[in-house]
Amino acid sequence: MSKTMDSEFYKLLHELQAIDFVLVELNLYLDTHPNDTNAIQQYNHCAQVRQQIAYNYESRYGPLKNFGQSYSGTPFQWVDTPWPWQV
Amino acid sequence: MSQNEQVRYYKPFVGPFDPCPPILVKSYSTPPQLFIPFQPPNWPQFSPHEALRYGTLWPALFSSYESKRTKKAEGEGEA
Repeated sequence: MSKTMDSEFYKLLHELQAIDFVLVELNLYLDTHPNDTNAIQQYNHCAQVRQQIAYNYESRYGPLKNFGQSYSGTPFQWVDTPWPWQV
Repeated sequence: MSQNEQVRYYKPFVGPFDPCPPILVKSYSTPPQLFIPFQPPNWPQFSPHEALRYGTLWPALFSSYESKRTKKAEGEGEA
């Protein structure tokens, strides 16, 4: 039977997906409202939260991104499943 | 299926020589951003998970897109 991931894996990915969407929306909003300090504050806060979630995920399940944008354990975890489309 | 207030309907011209049965009532969607020239700051927001579900961070910009495939009873195709 192939490798199965626990529910924490999916929960973390869902959290990451939600916070990433908020960051995309805020980024697009800030493109047209560069002086909106509240939005900038929220953007920076969400970026911090996103970093925390990504750190939690990567410390448990391996790198999210390659080419040096994420750390890897040994053996090199980048080649492990599940790939994003296999999740 | 509540009447989505963002959908508007119109009746296209039906000629006598149409080879196929005419579509008598057609609809088009008018999302909120058509009526908002510039987004004001500090609008109420959805929570991250809700925003992911609704597809936008701001409830005022939400535009639902019901499938037209099921909604035949609305007189979508007939007069």
